[in-house]
Amino acid sequence: MNGGHDLGGMHGLGPIAPDPAEPVFHHEWERRVFALTLAMGAYGAWNLDMSRHARENTHPAEYLDASYYEHWLRALQVLLAEQGLVSADEIAARMRELAADARPAR
Amino acid sequence: MPGARGTTLSRHAHDAPLEETVLRVKALESLLVEKGLVDPAALEVLIDTYENRVGPRNGARVVARAWSDPAYRARLLEDAGAAIAELGFGGRQGEDMVVVENTPEVHNLVVCTLCSCYPWPVLGLPPVWYKSPPYRARAVSEPRSVLAEFGVELGDDVAVRVWDSTAEVRYLVLPLRPPGSEGLDEERLAELVTRDSMIGTGLASSPPAVSEP
Amino acid sequence: MPVLRAEQAAALLGRGASARLPGDRPSARFAAGDRVLARNVHPAGHTRLPRYVRGRRGVIARDHGLFVFPDAHAEGRVEAQRLYSVRFEAAELWGPQAEPGACVFLDLFEAYLDAAP
Repeated sequence: MNGGHDLGGMHGLGPIAPDPAEPVFHHEWERRVFALTLAMGAYGAWNLDMSRHARENTHPAEYLDASYYEHWLRALQVLLAEQGLVSADEIAARMRELAADARPAR
Repeated sequence: MPGARGTTLSRHAHDAPLEETVLRVKALESLLVEKGLVDPAALEVLIDTYENRVGPRNGARVVARAWSDPAYRARLLEDAGAAIAELGFGGRQGEDMVVVENTPEVHNLVVCTLCSCYPWPVLGLPPVWYKSPPYRARAVSEPRSVLAEFGVELGDDVAVRVWDSTAEVRYLVLPLRPPGSEGLDEERLAELVTRDSMIGTGLASSPPAVSEP
Repeated sequence: MPVLRAEQAAALLGRGASARLPGDRPSARFAAGDRVLARNVHPAGHTRLPRYVRGRRGVIARDHGLFVFPDAHAEGRVEAQRLYSVRFEAAELWGPQAEPGACVFLDLFEAYLDAAP
């Protein structure tokens, strides 16, 4: 697909700005997304090329705006929903439960 | 015309995570564990492997061996996977490896314009800049300008070869051995091999000046 | 489907999963030194043929052997395709804006390539 991921030669993206003291993961949620993606890859309901396609198959503006592990997170949810393993509704419901649990009791 | 605008698009690299993202990941993990689709202990092994065990020190050992042992260097350039396996490295995202050698006439640079393919067993997980749109866009169209941004100024007589990892072959650059490193053992040599020198965005470090006793 | 257990995880990572396929069929249509033209195609599905080489001329640098073809694999089919390292000169890709003395190598599947006329 002629998607936002196909970046060779694109202009206007600015300097590269490497961080010389970069950690492997910047946030705990990135660790979790990395490990969940590899574990579910090993589970075998989809292959690596399906994963890559799920990551690139999005609006080009969203592709360019999202970080690497945000791509992985979005693709993982798409693949889980497609395979009938975890639905978007289930995730939304669990997010509401976790948010309610985190609120201090009155 | 590199670097004109667009810097806001790299805003994610160091921002505090969105609360919504954190919550979403927690929800997803709890559902996957509850459904028995992932083993929480396996997640810890996966994270520990790439956060603490596999990284560019592996690649540095490969390079140092190649600098020290001409027969190993020849094997590495002929069949990189087998030669890297001799040192005990290999596996996921490094199943099919090719090593490209820098010479005084040729400088190599590795990129993945379509995603962020990278040789995990020898370099670990890729840094943010390697995965970023500006690097992926510009490494193929203006490699000399990209190299200059990394502080690598090549003479006009040095040809640049860019390797776009578009399939499952993974590339590692064998950097030039720095002058003044004669006589150093493999362990000392490995300390001179930076991650960026094995991607091609850097050169191997010069050995520290030795003060006479 | 097998759930990945902690005791299997390290071995799985250490072994990996090569996309290389055994055998020698289909046989190679191109050999090192052959001039090729990357096809000008725009598939709606997954492909590993970047836009910046479509319609451009290159030279086969190396035959990597047979690999799983990603375009079919993304749709759940395992198809063996020959994979080549193809060298493109910067001027062929970027025209007058090309930097001097540069070239780009891409790993391209046989289905992405035609013999250059």
